[in-house]
Amino acid sequence: MSSWSLVRRTALAACFVALPLSAAQRQSAQEIVDRVDQLLRGRSSRGSVTMEVVTEHWSRTLEMDIWSLGTEYSLIRITSPSKDAGTATLRAENGIWNYLPRVDRTIKLPPSLMGAAWMGSHFTNDDLVKESRIIDDYDIEIGYEGRRDGVEIWEFVLTPKPEAAVIWGRIEEQVRQSDLMPVWVRYYDDAGDLARTMSFEDYRWMGDRLVPALMIIRPVDKPEEHTLLRYRDLAFDIGLDPSFFSLRRLRRDRN
Amino acid sequence: MAASVWRRIGWRNLGRNRRRSILAASMLAVGYFSVVILMGWSKGLVAEMIGNGTGILTGQLQVHAADYQPDKSVHATIGGREGTDVAALVNAVRADPAIEAATPRVYGGGLVSTGSATAAAVFLGVDPELEPQVSRIMRALERGRHPRRGANELLIGAEMARSLGAEPGDTVVVVAPAVDGSLGNDLFVVSGIYSTGLADLDRTFALMPIDALQFLMALDPTRIHEIATSVPDPWQAAEAAERLSSLLEATGFAVGVESWATLRPEMVEYAQLSQAFQWILLFIVFGMAIFGVANTMLMATFERRYEFALLLALGATPGVIVRSVLWEAMALGALALAAGAAITFPVMVWWHRVPLDLSWLFGDFTMLGALMRPVIRIEYPWLMTVQAAVALFLTAALAALYPAIRAARIPPADTMAGR
Repeated sequence: MSSWSLVRRTALAACFVALPLSAAQRQSAQEIVDRVDQLLRGRSSRGSVTMEVVTEHWSRTLEMDIWSLGTEYSLIRITSPSKDAGTATLRAENGIWNYLPRVDRTIKLPPSLMGAAWMGSHFTNDDLVKESRIIDDYDIEIGYEGRRDGVEIWEFVLTPKPEAAVIWGRIEEQVRQSDLMPVWVRYYDDAGDLARTMSFEDYRWMGDRLVPALMIIRPVDKPEEHTLLRYRDLAFDIGLDPSFFSLRRLRRDRN
Repeated sequence: MAASVWRRIGWRNLGRNRRRSILAASMLAVGYFSVVILMGWSKGLVAEMIGNGTGILTGQLQVHAADYQPDKSVHATIGGREGTDVAALVNAVRADPAIEAATPRVYGGGLVSTGSATAAAVFLGVDPELEPQVSRIMRALERGRHPRRGANELLIGAEMARSLGAEPGDTVVVVAPAVDGSLGNDLFVVSGIYSTGLADLDRTFALMPIDALQFLMALDPTRIHEIATSVPDPWQAAEAAERLSSLLEATGFAVGVESWATLRPEMVEYAQLSQAFQWILLFIVFGMAIFGVANTMLMATFERRYEFALLLALGATPGVIVRSVLWEAMALGALALAAGAAITFPVMVWWHRVPLDLSWLFGDFTMLGALMRPVIRIEYPWLMTVQAAVALFLTAALAALYPAIRAARIPPADTMAGR
């Protein structure tokens, strides 16, 4: 499950708002999760994001611009602080590259580093760029359906299929029935222990859609640490094509 | 009668059938030789394993911040965020009588990249002058030269060089998360390539001058993760660790001092296993010898049954007969020990000084992560030379006990009458 693309997926989940609720309710769990998952494919987006990373030893705030096209292409460029400005990550055609402006070099990341932290945050490279469909990797069922804290919700339980190459043992996801906005996602390891949680807040209209503008990820083993991601602005269907996501673009300061 | 007389008689009885006595003594002598040489070799193997396992990188004793183990966090530097007077601490550690050399180290994790090829690496920041006195990793230089202090130079392993396609003189990008959360990155020149023969090590570790890694990781020059030391006699390392621990505690450093025995417990277990094995070996070798010697003594006493009958008839007590046979066995033991020592000690000294090279038979191998040469190298098993001598006499005495008792129970009249 890609939490990064989850943002983009859920950002587009606003399309559901227009659907009659009864139709949404009739859908099976798999269809709901897949529709949320699938909504972003083939669509482009551009956003400005503030990332706040708090760890035991340091905390810092990064500002960055993000472009994406479906789940296959994405480009993230740090704009602030000045020490890191220009540092960029590109995913295109199954490869992931980093551009380091200080040394003016582009390096390709090996697949073994997909699980490594991105820029010291609690997001992994994998979170940023994984492309597979949720329903290909997970069996999905409704764990709970009803009212929690006065809100009608579904809680989906995602169990990896036996052959799926995924790092989580189980994922739980709570989604509001009224507008299909995600509330939280809980990631469990292979031993069944909760490893990290992601919560969604500040649902607001951006571009033409309702999105959770704030995401907070917390590792369970370090409760004092978290990474917070806030969308400052977000635009959809801006007409990007794959040629935009090139190594040349990765190195360029302005787009 | 005085014991010395029986001792003399016992000794002289050996001469009655010299060939048989020599054969029986040979059995014990070869047993002595086998046990001592095998134990010396086993001790040599353990010494080589510890020497290689700790000598290539670990060192025999390490000093860290108290909270460094087991997570090895890059934030856990000696003396905390403020760090410490590195030179003074290194000198304090080196002042211990068991320690020969000490060197500061900084660790980091990150990437080495040529652009198209990228490898994950453990960065080791070293003092290029002190490090070779402690570990052998820099001495395993295959091509190029060592990184120089103050320069962005990198010494990488042969396996990493192969996967990156990097050669000495090439420029690579080094990326390492810094302690302030930023992403340290800089260009380095590959100054050289080392090859220890341990593929894991050669794939993982990249060495650079300590100041270069500190700068990359936004660490002050006062902040280090480790002081690694070499202790020439590894068995003194645990004691030295205790000494240093209390010394550094008194000076106000919150440190953990670990000897190789703590860092590499599997090696201690192997050494203990090898110790236990020596008793099994002793038991098997002399257990086999005991039956051979008993057979010989049984023959010797059977041949002399008329003699024993006459002695008993003349008033000798059965105890006297037993003693005379036992003294004979002791004399045999003394002969065997003299012969055993005469063949064992020269071979022991020889294989200690010039280990028997079997590399024509098979190549290098690894054992518990230590690279081993195919040589029979002997470490002097001094305790075993004594233990085996005691076992040899005990074997001779036990082997003679049954024949002695039989001899003492001969019915004098019947035997002399030939009945």
